Amino acid sequence: MAKLFVRRRDGRIEVRLNDAGREVAREAFGRVYVAEHDAEHEWHRTLNAPIDPSKDADDPLAVLARQSETGSNAELAVATVHEEFLTDVEAWAWMTTMQVALRATAVANHLHDEETLRSSDPDVLEYIRTLQDFLHALADIL
Amino acid sequence: MASVKPLRDTSTDTTTAVTTDTTVLTERPWNVVVWDDPVTPMKVVVVIFKRIFGYSDNKCTQLMMTVHHDGRAVVWSGEVERAQSYCVKLQVAGLLATIEKDS
Repeated sequence: MAKLFVRRRDGRIEVRLNDAGREVAREAFGRVYVAEHDAEHEWHRTLNAPIDPSKDADDPLAVLARQSETGSNAELAVATVHEEFLTDVEAWAWMTTMQVALRATAVANHLHDEETLRSSDPDVLEYIRTLQDFLHALADIL
Repeated sequence: MASVKPLRDTSTDTTTAVTTDTTVLTERPWNVVVWDDPVTPMKVVVVIFKRIFGYSDNKCTQLMMTVHHDGRAVVWSGEVERAQSYCVKLQVAGLLATIEKDS
């Protein structure tokens, strides 16, 4: 399989996704950004899981930090989705936002173990595999 | 038999030692726990641990394997504020993470 991301000698990361790949990334980044700001979004609860499950409410500062950082990463990923080259920080934002999208997709579709994953809807499974391929490629160069 | 006097008074040292031990016993550290899920690539978990904690490749791989095989791993222990901060960073990176007081 051709490399989707390549680290150049000058440190920049070249994005070799085709139009279809860019569209998958753009859609995933956009959904994370919207979900972080929309309490009714099906991904919102996944993005706001409790930090300390033993307490009724989390530390508001910790929650604020998470929402701010997740929002920033998704915003940076959305803003750079058509770039030919990424910096290290941008590539990290791509990877973390894609990982958030991957886990949110799994939770929203009740895919909590290997068995439910294998028997999931083929379209959902294909989407998950595509995100996993992107994540493998990004992890290789980070 | 002649009594042997200590060269210095050690009574205050004893008190300090007891106090210190008590403090250690009562203040249990907070653990940052990462939980397994069926979709996250192993390689991604290693990269996230390395970037957030600065651990060696070996330690990151060992922790990732513990998550994979045991369903969870304690990836950091210490004071509550730092535990919360690390937990937030892991959640922002897309991993399922929580904190808990060490038992």
